[in-house]
Amino acid sequence: MPAMSSVLANKSTRVILIAVVAIALVVAPLILPAFTNQTLVRIGVYAVAVLGLNIVMGYTGQVNLGQIFFVGLGAYVTAYGVNHDWNIILVFVAACVVPGLVGLLVALAAARLGGLAIAMVTIALPIVGVPLAKRLDEFTGGSQGTSARFTDAPDWSGLYNDQWQFYIVLLVTAAAFLLGRSLVRGKYGRAFGVVRENEAVAASMGISPYRTKVLAFTVASIFGGASGFLYLAAVQYTSPETLSFGHSISLVAAMVIGGAGSIAGALIGGAYYVFVPQLTNAIDPNLTTISQGAILLVVLFLLPQGLVSLPRVVRRLFRRRTSRSSLPGNPPQNSPVHQPATDAAREGLEKTERQDRS
Amino acid sequence: MTLLELTGVTASYGPVQVLDGVELTVPEGGSVGILGANGAGKTTTLRAISGTVRTGGRIKFEGRDIRGLRPDQVAARGVAHVPEGRGTLGQLSVRENLLVGAYLRKDRGAISRDIDYCLDLFPQLQDRVGSRAASLSGGEQQMLAVARAFMAKPKLLLLDEASLGLAPSTSKAVYEAIRRLRLESGIAMVVVEQNANLAFSLVDTATVLETGRNVLTGSSAELKGMDEIRRAYLGG
Amino acid sequence: MKIRNKPDGVLGIVAMASIIALSLSGCARDGAGQGNGSGSSPGITDTAITLGVTTPLSGPTAGPGTCTVAGLAAYFGSVNAAGGVEFGDGKTRTVDIKSYDDAYDPQKALSNFQQMVSDGVFAVTSGLGTPTNRAFREAAISQQVPQVLVMTGDPLFSDREESPWQLGFVPIYENEGAAFGKLLAESDAQHKVAILSQNDDYGKGYVAGFKEAIGGAANVSVVGELTYEATDTSVDAQLTQLAASGADVFFNAMSITPLVISSLQKAQQIGWTPSWFLPSNTSSPTAILQPGGAGAYPGIYSVSFSKAPQSPAFAQDADVVKFLADLKQYGNYPDMPAFPHCMWSYMVGATLEEAFKNMTEPTRENFMTALRDIKGLQAPLMLEGTAVDTTTDGQPAVSTVLVQKYDGRGYGTVENFG
Repeated sequence: MPAMSSVLANKSTRVILIAVVAIALVVAPLILPAFTNQTLVRIGVYAVAVLGLNIVMGYTGQVNLGQIFFVGLGAYVTAYGVNHDWNIILVFVAACVVPGLVGLLVALAAARLGGLAIAMVTIALPIVGVPLAKRLDEFTGGSQGTSARFTDAPDWSGLYNDQWQFYIVLLVTAAAFLLGRSLVRGKYGRAFGVVRENEAVAASMGISPYRTKVLAFTVASIFGGASGFLYLAAVQYTSPETLSFGHSISLVAAMVIGGAGSIAGALIGGAYYVFVPQLTNAIDPNLTTISQGAILLVVLFLLPQGLVSLPRVVRRLFRRRTSRSSLPGNPPQNSPVHQPATDAAREGLEKTERQDRS
Repeated sequence: MTLLELTGVTASYGPVQVLDGVELTVPEGGSVGILGANGAGKTTTLRAISGTVRTGGRIKFEGRDIRGLRPDQVAARGVAHVPEGRGTLGQLSVRENLLVGAYLRKDRGAISRDIDYCLDLFPQLQDRVGSRAASLSGGEQQMLAVARAFMAKPKLLLLDEASLGLAPSTSKAVYEAIRRLRLESGIAMVVVEQNANLAFSLVDTATVLETGRNVLTGSSAELKGMDEIRRAYLGG
Repeated sequence: MKIRNKPDGVLGIVAMASIIALSLSGCARDGAGQGNGSGSSPGITDTAITLGVTTPLSGPTAGPGTCTVAGLAAYFGSVNAAGGVEFGDGKTRTVDIKSYDDAYDPQKALSNFQQMVSDGVFAVTSGLGTPTNRAFREAAISQQVPQVLVMTGDPLFSDREESPWQLGFVPIYENEGAAFGKLLAESDAQHKVAILSQNDDYGKGYVAGFKEAIGGAANVSVVGELTYEATDTSVDAQLTQLAASGADVFFNAMSITPLVISSLQKAQQIGWTPSWFLPSNTSSPTAILQPGGAGAYPGIYSVSFSKAPQSPAFAQDADVVKFLADLKQYGNYPDMPAFPHCMWSYMVGATLEEAFKNMTEPTRENFMTALRDIKGLQAPLMLEGTAVDTTTDGQPAVSTVLVQKYDGRGYGTVENFG
């Protein structure tokens, strides 16, 4: 019975929470200051990139150090399309499809290699990408980069640019996260998990590790491309520096910090990617590298599962403290009765959380 | 009708020849045991069938050569392998493990019926269906491994040392359940087992391997009575 | 024991959203950017004006990037210590510098710009980098925030039509190439020139300026012309090929410090000792020429508009002495500057001060007008014969450069080649 009621309570809380978050997201840009909106927009950009990375790395366990290449490619395709007056829907589709195809081709070759060889191939992507972007200047604008403005708020909307951009990014980001969520919770998501844990077992279940890796890599590239589209929506400019290798490593760090193998972790990772440079700039702009490294280490030591595990860790600490403090406070005959009851209720709650995942 | 036929199958790990002309025949719905000492090539024979080692010779499944296929292709033909050490996926829940087993199936309704069937077959899993597989006991993990293989609705189940590391009463319960599974589903099986008593509870015929070669083949009844078997494998 | 590394889904998102909301609440929509009704622009009060710099303070370009802040801070630190700047509207204001690290990442530069708008910065200045400055150029235009005296040779920033709220500070690449070409064309001797250039707008700009200047000269012929990619780690093959052309002048439009050093070493190894031309940002005596063994060549030429503090010729120069003292005291930069950007940003300070003095209203529009009206300003550290001139469309604040010759320790201006 207590388990049953907590199931209901949990479910309706969820619905209410989701509704609150949704309404907050729609209303927020109208009241928040411009800089906050701009920051949230950038978080959306990188959350989508980290989400893609999470699918191939967090869920499927394949090291990918080249995600920024697909972000950059998506951004360039977007810039090219916008500057050639393509329909914006077409631009978006191309920004996803082109990186997806490139990702597919790379994965078809790289996934055969297995192990660290995949990591090496992905390292090569941004390293090749930067000079390529400089050289193909009729497409990329060379080292001076290319601008494309397509996200200024139209007059009829009555919105500021930052608000309009917020809604564009919100739309794409929300769609990406819903897609990503249903992907990792479905059949393919399970296949990703099996391949990550044990390729031999995967094969014995009829799951081709090769095809699964290729799929995960391609999906990651598509999300990278979508992130590139958003990058251009937010920054309205891209240059070869966008796809520099260092940013790829920062994306990996953001994914781990947010929480590998977690959808919410990807969002937090995006926030981390955007907030930390702002934070370290505020601390001392001359010491950004050092303070970023320090933050990274502190988070990893305190929360090795990433920031997404923070509520759980807090709850565990809280629980430990309450159970400790309740022991001496309560009359001895009460505690044995009292304790198991709360334990059972908690057990019920945790179980439903887990079941919801499958 | 013959479901699986191995003829002169060879395999080696580097320079070490592990299988040296193994023969094995499994009729449809039949259950065949492979007995033998450590290192005799029992596990490798199963791996040869499921495609996880390179082999020579001929392996025919449903009349078609499956030697050289990738493991996932063999699985797609209807061969499920419960590997030594179980291979349960610790990070996934019990239910997810079962769903993974059904990865290649399209019949959604039947899948959830089969999950219920597995939970009925192994009631211990019933309470743990939402827990991570890593939190299960050894016996529960073995049950899960068998149940997951069953979820693939295979024509042939390869069972490797299902009793390894389990308490005698637990192994017995596992084999009980597998026997029930066999009776109710009619799935053919190849059973590798150190404990010959357990093996004989499940198989119709058996073959004894020594250094990668068949040295004895016969029905369970025949083999059970033989002194050699008794001495070598029944703990005599 | 139960281990769960899966997320708490919605909970996590809500937690994050509330963190964001908490950390960012407290400012209102109208607070930033749009002015405050009293007629003055954001970032300026009756007693102070705030300037922002976004520049690489970490990463591979951190060296010159740090200099772009240090020189500016040094200049205004000294000015503030003396009481501040008396503006054209009669009020005396101190000048505050806020710096932001963009790590040469365009996205971070835009983010920094947005932050500056939110922080109430009056104008953005002095920052280094073409892509980083380009990343927020359009945002600066649409928000009407000055982005002036920035360190990029990209001509776009000096095009008034295209960039109404911008102005570049340093000479564009063509200016530098042309100055050297002109010197060569005026030489009495015959010259065979080998050209090596970076395959991008940087290299192309230098070569275009150079070729235009030698266009009509009968005494100069280009005998070899090759390019390399900015990501190449060696240009040995190109050097060997160019050496075979027998050129006596080597025009090397190269922006990568280690490559310049290794080129200087390689050419003498293979016995090719022409006179060199190097761009102003890769001709540092201490960082490049000494490690490269430049003494082996008959002449290393570069261009400059700034006095070189390292050079013995300027050791007693009043500007240089004051500059080094300011840099140490206010710029948080105790060493001898390894990059010219330290001097350049010091001159940016002087140019801004000149504009402030002519500002009659505390608005950005008025500032731009005042800034675009400076002519013949001899900022401290400027070489004799160069001056700040902001009145010519298509030209940055400094467009005249003087050809310099390496004298073993620093540079001295030369009138003639050889």
